Amino acid sequence: MSRVYILGGAQTDFERNWTKEGKGMVALLKEVMADGLGEAGLSFDDIKELNKDNRVSCFVGNFIAEKYTGQGHLGAFLTEVDPAFYGVPSARYEAACASSSVAIDAAATKIRANDYDVAIAVGWELMKTVDSVVGGDFLGRAAYYDREGKGIDLPFPKLFGKLADETLKKYPDLDEKRYMDALARISVINYSNARRNPLAQTRKWFMSYDQASMRGTDTNPFVGGKLAVSDCSQVTDGAAVVVLCSEKFMKERGIKDKPVIKGYGHRVAPILFEKKMADNVRYEYILPWTRQAVLDAYRRSGLSVDDIDAFEIHDCFTSSEYAAISSFGLTEPGKEYEAVENGMISFDGKKPVNPSGGLIGCGHPVGASGCRMLLDLYKQVTGTAGGYQVEGARNAMMLNIGGTATTNYVFVIGAE
Amino acid sequence: MMNIQTVTVIGVTGIMGANVAGIFASFGDAKVYCVGRDIEKVKRTIPRIVKSVRADTIARNLVPADFSMLEKCVAESDLIFESSKEDIQVKTEIAAMVGKSMKQHAVSGTGSSGLSINTIAKCYPENLRSRFFGIHMFNPPYTLQLCELTPTRYNDVQLKEELKEYLKNKLHRTVVEVKDSPAFLGNRIGFQFINEALQYAEKYKDNGGIDYIDAILGSFTGRTMAPLITSDFVGLDVHKAIVCNIYENTNDYAHDTFVFPKFADKLVSDGKLGRKSGGGLYQLVRYDNGLKRQTVLDINTGLYRDVIPYVFPFADKMKRYIAEGDYRKAFERLVNNHSQEADICCRFLLNYIVYSLYAAKEVGYMIEAADDGMAAGFNWCPPLAMYQALSTVADVPGLIRENLPDICWKVDIDELLAQVKPSKYDYRLYFKSGR
Repeated sequence: MSRVYILGGAQTDFERNWTKEGKGMVALLKEVMADGLGEAGLSFDDIKELNKDNRVSCFVGNFIAEKYTGQGHLGAFLTEVDPAFYGVPSARYEAACASSSVAIDAAATKIRANDYDVAIAVGWELMKTVDSVVGGDFLGRAAYYDREGKGIDLPFPKLFGKLADETLKKYPDLDEKRYMDALARISVINYSNARRNPLAQTRKWFMSYDQASMRGTDTNPFVGGKLAVSDCSQVTDGAAVVVLCSEKFMKERGIKDKPVIKGYGHRVAPILFEKKMADNVRYEYILPWTRQAVLDAYRRSGLSVDDIDAFEIHDCFTSSEYAAISSFGLTEPGKEYEAVENGMISFDGKKPVNPSGGLIGCGHPVGASGCRMLLDLYKQVTGTAGGYQVEGARNAMMLNIGGTATTNYVFVIGAE
Repeated sequence: MMNIQTVTVIGVTGIMGANVAGIFASFGDAKVYCVGRDIEKVKRTIPRIVKSVRADTIARNLVPADFSMLEKCVAESDLIFESSKEDIQVKTEIAAMVGKSMKQHAVSGTGSSGLSINTIAKCYPENLRSRFFGIHMFNPPYTLQLCELTPTRYNDVQLKEELKEYLKNKLHRTVVEVKDSPAFLGNRIGFQFINEALQYAEKYKDNGGIDYIDAILGSFTGRTMAPLITSDFVGLDVHKAIVCNIYENTNDYAHDTFVFPKFADKLVSDGKLGRKSGGGLYQLVRYDNGLKRQTVLDINTGLYRDVIPYVFPFADKMKRYIAEGDYRKAFERLVNNHSQEADICCRFLLNYIVYSLYAAKEVGYMIEAADDGMAAGFNWCPPLAMYQALSTVADVPGLIRENLPDICWKVDIDELLAQVKPSKYDYRLYFKSGR
């Protein structure tokens, strides 16, 4: 078994609208692959060389390009990036918004098993090819579409609005005002973190505590139950790539000081939201399988929450970030508001969450988010996050979920 | 950081005044006195201000006022921003009024896009002169972050630095310090390009003129909007005011390119100012059944005709390559194709680099200022990034000498090119595959 090292990677500027630029998947992949390989210290010639001995492979994460762009067989498209990819094994991995985490997992597994020495995970999604209502319907396929998505306007905000309702129901001591206030603060933290990230989608946008807590106005309308636009992540075009490698490759190249993947967790909860909620009555946690994935990652890495210096959490909605706080062990379940109120999860707090801005601030090109999170963890633990660097971060952790916290993926990385 | 809690914006019913009030009320989180001549009109402007930053909650920060209340508003304010008519008479009068009641520690600024800031400063009482600056933002400021800060000879460095920090870190502006020079930096570079494009439209009127030139310099050349569509969007009157100001008050190698063409002057006097007056260089014809048709002025006949869907082989290929992310191949096409159209395009892009280097030296303090200005003020591929883009396929200094011999003869090209640095901007996102 080999250790799995992260050599580096890149993401595109999530502010970009590729449809408006008149560019598609191939241009997106060309840019991100060129940047990502460059950051990882590899060239297309290196890929060609490695491929001669079948030592490199690619793992493409994407949720639903068939709908957004009308294209399938996505694993094959790296051949359009550069002829260096001719003959390189490559396939597409899918688990809704956790698609590129599955790609990372597959890539890491192949390295661990000594099958390949370099594994490239690239996630992407182009979502601005359609308007938000049509796109919202596409995204409904991350739930049980026939029963939870079909014919419903913007099904996902409604489902995560229900998560907010269920959270209040599950913890009767939780005051609704306090809860909604914590959600507003979560939104504001993500927006303000995004300001420090030069590749974040909302880095130039205005958001204030007043604006986020005044829901139901013209500029902050309700989108699902108690949740308003300020509680939602963005519709984003983008791609992210991370390059993983084996111990053998590190030695061969004389590369030092690269972080390793220390642990992972992967758990799948019942796909129907109702069944998820029915299932959780047995647990203290509203999303017990999310919690379990976190516990698995802690166990595999031999680390605990005390060892983790920065988190990237799947804040597709403020209600999902809220639930994730206790899943990571930052607070007791039902007391997540404490971490928000006492500043623990703020950028300068003890346990910064989403220094990148997260899905609300940095953006959420669904199939790219897992790779983007892992890339941000890499930047944090290597001290290369620039304006959003968490000082002295040694270990960092991410949670990427697909659907209504159906697929739960957790990775822990850190210095060797 | 400068503690700005109360702001007065004078001239809030104008587009710029309203939008800047929105920036102070949102990012600045300040109480903003919105002053206009007609208070009813000011009240009607408030919803527009709110909309400009997409945040209802700032409405509580906006207080409508008229000139009768000016003295009181100013007396309470930490910052006064004047965004009145671009007329030195009007601006000096307002400066005198503000000077009367402004607090000793307050800061005052004008949004003028190119009148002499020193002249306006002189209308302030001596003890307040050092607290007045040019603060020029671009429209719409919510999406274009550029802010040109012009100190005067009366300012002290510390206050300037404090204001700069406030604009940068509180209002989230891309601040570029510029000299008190006509039109400052962004518009000097941008309108050199746009006005020369307008002159070329006249020169090539038999080839199609306006839409012909726009088809040569479209979004595939590193911008969101073709230059003459931009002029129509900004307004030909504003365009004219900017280039006339530059023409009359500067004298550089590109002096002749600031002459506003006669045919365009006639449009201005006929009130055909562009999009805001329902037509200018272009005219959108709407039919009762909802159909729309884009027409363009034929310079020869003075009549509007349908826009021609030009197909130039070099442009067509460039767009196809850009769509696939093959920027190198696109630039290869540009520099290696020697059709009339490719030559015009190449000449414009190269002169854009040269003029930016020149203007940054004359109007700014650092070459990066030109990059910030064109990216954050125009959304154009900034000049240093343009240099980088073209250097992927060619020796740019050689290309400049070959394509712009007339200009190389007038300027010290080696000295200008010696300033070139890598750009912090990514050129790829500016080259689009569209018109």
